[in-house]
Amino acid sequence: MPRFINKGSEKVKEDCTSFADFLSISNWKVRLSFLFMGLGQLFFRQWVKGIVYVLIEAFFLWFMIACGGRFLVGLITLGTTVADPWTNTGGDNSVIFLLMGVFTVFVILIFLALYIDNVKDCQRTYLSTIKGRKPNTFKEDLANLAGRDFPKLALFVPLLGVLIFSVIPIVMMILIAFTNYGGTIVPPALVDWNGFGNFKTIFTAKGVGASFGKILGWNFLWAFLSTFLNYFLGLGLALLINKKCVKFKSLFRVFPVLAYAIPGFITMIAFRFMLSLGGPINYYLTGGFQNNKAIVDFLGRDSKWSARLIGLAVNAWLSVPTTMLLATGILSNINGDLYEAADIDGASKPKQFFDITLPYVLFATTPTLISQFIGNFNNFGIFYFLRGGLYSDGYFLASDSDLLINWLYNLSINNNYYSIGAAISLMIFLITSTISLIVYVRSPSYRKEDTYR
Amino acid sequence: MNHKVKKVLNVTLTYCILILVSAIFVFPCLWLILASFSKTGSIYSFNGFFPSEYSFDSFVTLFTDTNMYNYPKWLLNTFVIALFSCLFSTILLILTAYTISRFEFKARRHLMKGALVLGMFPSFMSMTILYILMTQFKMINNLWGLILIYSCTAPMGYLVQKGFFDTIPISIYEAASIDGASNLRIFRTITLPLAKPMIVYTALTSFTWPWSDFVLPTLLLKDKDCYTVAVGLMSLGETEFSRFAAGSVFVAVPIVVLYFLLIRNMVSGMTSGAVKG
Repeated sequence: MPRFINKGSEKVKEDCTSFADFLSISNWKVRLSFLFMGLGQLFFRQWVKGIVYVLIEAFFLWFMIACGGRFLVGLITLGTTVADPWTNTGGDNSVIFLLMGVFTVFVILIFLALYIDNVKDCQRTYLSTIKGRKPNTFKEDLANLAGRDFPKLALFVPLLGVLIFSVIPIVMMILIAFTNYGGTIVPPALVDWNGFGNFKTIFTAKGVGASFGKILGWNFLWAFLSTFLNYFLGLGLALLINKKCVKFKSLFRVFPVLAYAIPGFITMIAFRFMLSLGGPINYYLTGGFQNNKAIVDFLGRDSKWSARLIGLAVNAWLSVPTTMLLATGILSNINGDLYEAADIDGASKPKQFFDITLPYVLFATTPTLISQFIGNFNNFGIFYFLRGGLYSDGYFLASDSDLLINWLYNLSINNNYYSIGAAISLMIFLITSTISLIVYVRSPSYRKEDTYR
Repeated sequence: MNHKVKKVLNVTLTYCILILVSAIFVFPCLWLILASFSKTGSIYSFNGFFPSEYSFDSFVTLFTDTNMYNYPKWLLNTFVIALFSCLFSTILLILTAYTISRFEFKARRHLMKGALVLGMFPSFMSMTILYILMTQFKMINNLWGLILIYSCTAPMGYLVQKGFFDTIPISIYEAASIDGASNLRIFRTITLPLAKPMIVYTALTSFTWPWSDFVLPTLLLKDKDCYTVAVGLMSLGETEFSRFAAGSVFVAVPIVVLYFLLIRNMVSGMTSGAVKG
């Protein structure tokens, strides 16, 4: 049901529901703001706002003419001249071209948003003048920023930061997945668009393709095993400490919290030292290094499964305390009457666990369970610290315990295979986002966001 | 009688498991502390888990022998990065979470979905580009570059804090705004005091994250004098084991103390994030 305001004899629609409405709410001042940002505001005598808008458009036009157009062309060609040291001509740097191109696209998008904002602002002023109010003064606009427009003010800096340091890098990496950047093709050599070439390489090339399959399989196994292990060990520990017969409950919580508080990299390096060839475990196995045949290379080249199992154990050591703390918090929220009632009805302890405790805890921790699964799927630290820099036979630049994320690191940061790395990132993204979207969108905490209000 | 035996057995078993678990958690920590008091540095001179001779030497060399491994400088770097990132991240994060939780505006749902999608990309994906960006800004080997990245990407993790703000009843705000309080005033006088545990939690996690991060510093800090503690300790080999242990103990103790002081806030922060997603 559209609302109308009377303006003399004609009716003006007040709310716009379609693009046609958007165009129809206008007089000549509003139309001027369509033509050049800020003109409408100036004719409504909103000087400061008008000038700011005019300056924004002037700056944008200057930017586009001076360099923006060039950047856009550069985004498509990725550079045309190769540097030539003989004639001393500086060539094009494809990566910078890509960066500036993406940057320009975002500048255009932001400008368009401001443009629409400018027209809408003019329409608002126009409508309020029809109602017989005066256009807002600059002071009133500023006051609005602390009131109705507070989200704009508050989110400006966070959004800008996330845009520069998160959105732009990710967009660039997505683009790089479709180029041949990396290997020998790094600036000053020219990079070129490559279509789906990298994906083809990952799936079909001999070394890379075989590694991808093996690593992906282990990655899934690892994510399931470690999430399952950490979750139930943590829950079990919380339940044990919560038992009525246990005294000094907080004392028993101190030790896991200690493990939780120590920075993870310290424990991971410590475990590597402990299991190293000259470390204490081998000291006892060999009787003080008397019998050097007994040395076990727990994390070495040929110890695929021992390294994998140690990884699981170390990860459990690091993550079980988190789950325990979480479960303790959640367990304390369960209504004690439920158990009393169950006791009276004669339900056994295991039955109480499966019918009361577990459903409740599972319900409350579903979101965390997903994020833990994703976290474990992308768990970089464990194998980086335990076996960093080790490459196994039959794997292309990876060890046999490496996860996709470790492989990604080896490829793109240690060995400059940027475009293949970017393509793998995209695939990790596809996997993790599909899993979590399916679970997350169905979860009650997403659908009923406001139930607790 | 049989019932009683069963009960005693149950209790004993429970305690046995608990003591075993506690030992598993405490043992590596004890081992590191012992190792930090070793007289010789190399792991090869240890008698199993125990140093062959004890002394304070490792701690002394840690702070005096700074030619190869400038630990005091690393510590200072880490502290500067952690302090400023903590300050900026906490402000940006709380502001973002509060705004998204409290206000209904058009882009709200889109922003939330956008953040969700962004969070799904593997964190390393942007590393290469961040490196290129930082070379463009001339911020390689510059602590402020790290502070900038940590603080600017912090608002992405707003969900836990938003979950907390969602639990503050909206009627409190309505009452205040009917009484004529401005948004800033409501934030200062109502939200901040109520959200104290959440702010402590946020500050603590954003302080400890730079302490334990090693990926970004390895990438952006190439000069040995610019290392953070994590990168520096990683560069120590087996012959410098007791130096590693001493350095670790020195870093871990303040953080552990902080955690124990604030554990209540941590737990309430984690659970509110968990229940609400």
